[in-house]
Amino acid sequence: MAERVAIVAVAQTKYHPNRADVNEGELAYEAIKQVLEETGLTLSDIDSAVTCCQDAWDGRTIASLNLQHVVGAHFGHEFTVAEDGINAAYVAMSQVLSGHHEIVLVESHMKESQGDKSVIENAAFDAILMRQLGLDFTSAAALQARHYMDKYGITPEQCAKAVVRNHGNAKNNPLAQEPMDITVDDVLGSRMLASPIRLLDTKPVSDGACALVMTTEEKAKKLTKKPVWIVGVSNCYETHYLGDRELADSDALVKAAKKAYSMAGINDPLSQIDVAEISTEYSYQEPLWMEGLGFCGRGEGGKLVDSRTIEMGGKLPVNPSGGVLPGNPNGVAGMARVAEAVLQLRGEAGDRQVKGAKVALAHGYTGICGQHQAVMILANM
Amino acid sequence: MAEGSPTKKPEQPEYIRIKFDLPRPYHWSTGRYLGKLYAEAKENKRLMANRCPKCKEIRVHAPTPVCPKCKVDMGWDWVELPQTGTVFQYTYQVYPLWDPHEGRRCSNPHPPAIILLDNGVYLRHLLEETDTKKLKEGMRVQAVWEEDYDKRGQGFQDILYFRTIEE
Ligand SMILES: [Zn+2]
Repeated sequence: MAERVAIVAVAQTKYHPNRADVNEGELAYEAIKQVLEETGLTLSDIDSAVTCCQDAWDGRTIASLNLQHVVGAHFGHEFTVAEDGINAAYVAMSQVLSGHHEIVLVESHMKESQGDKSVIENAAFDAILMRQLGLDFTSAAALQARHYMDKYGITPEQCAKAVVRNHGNAKNNPLAQEPMDITVDDVLGSRMLASPIRLLDTKPVSDGACALVMTTEEKAKKLTKKPVWIVGVSNCYETHYLGDRELADSDALVKAAKKAYSMAGINDPLSQIDVAEISTEYSYQEPLWMEGLGFCGRGEGGKLVDSRTIEMGGKLPVNPSGGVLPGNPNGVAGMARVAEAVLQLRGEAGDRQVKGAKVALAHGYTGICGQHQAVMILANM
Repeated sequence: MAEGSPTKKPEQPEYIRIKFDLPRPYHWSTGRYLGKLYAEAKENKRLMANRCPKCKEIRVHAPTPVCPKCKVDMGWDWVELPQTGTVFQYTYQVYPLWDPHEGRRCSNPHPPAIILLDNGVYLRHLLEETDTKKLKEGMRVQAVWEEDYDKRGQGFQDILYFRTIEE
């Protein structure tokens, strides 16, 4: 059995509002080709492929149909998971750890441009009890945002600051969809969607794909000079029913983070983690998720957004890439955080590089108000 | 009727009905490879398939960027398929199937078949002949295209069916 699992190559497409020029398979292949080139592997060398896509978003059953050829899975081994590619990475890690497969290709893609976000999200609610209430993820997120902001006195200005920082950081990321110089006033003056969430508090519709190669310690050393190790991982789900949850505290994230930290030997995340990439589709989620991750105490996320701690050059830069708010698709967002963490640990993050980063955190979530939370800790030593 | 008889009508349970009538508006890209097939069929009434640079096999269903067999990049090598062939297998259905364009079940009288095109490639399509007594494996057939340009643009369905030919 393998003792350590390495990521030896990562790639992402440029994120784009509408990639009408390619189908899902071709989009995925753009990222896959890059990781093959980088490692010198061919699709015949891949022992197993773990892919992530979602039937509801794709609008077809068996959304992975377009993928079989481009992941080399014809008469081969393939798993498809839903939710986020960070789950696909988790499954791939288990395959390598078990000794069942040596070289695993992980892929996630999404073309949000092909469907209607609100209709698709509504279908994610319980069909008998909840769908009829007509909510989508934005209206549900608005309920969570209001409750969280009321309970802890988080201000719209603080949430807007997260938007400004993320879009600003995105200017250093050549793959980002909407790098922008914006101000807090721009965010607060943008169109209201579902109070308190305004247009700039959310991410735009996005198409894109991400791929990575995972393998054993022994193989990793042959494939790259700069392997990145998975040193902690966990995920956690809480109940689907919003009324049964304390929406102002993301306890699923607290649990996921605790488990991942204990595997990685982390007891003071703010000091022991050098860079964090977290998935926030709505601005209020940045302070809320940072509380869940233990970067600060409960209700202190607003103050953390205000501080310089999470800026580039701060103690724990959060989302040097710009994160999800400037535009990452559902299902890819969390895996893209893993890819960005790997680039940081390899010193290959270009203008968004956090100098000397040794330990990185990648976070992904899916579902209504962050029902599913996943945390991965990566290190380069 | 005896208890447990297979012909006994089961008791109808009482249902709670929830009406949920929401449209599902999706659209999909053909992408570069499948797009080539669609465009050539619509514009030129030609059936195109792409060919692997390594094994030289032709991918009919459907054009793809990677050869599934060799797992190599297909590049951009296209061949035009012949429009005549031989019926390899056929079936006919006696119950109505779904018509995706109509969103309801209806009887398509045309028997589905696998046709061995004259270049040795198999194509899944329909036969014009509806008289089941006249159907047989080994029949020679030829593609019949939708002649109305505006109605084409449906990929393989731009061919209405394959017509029996005498040679
Ligand atoms: Zn081939």
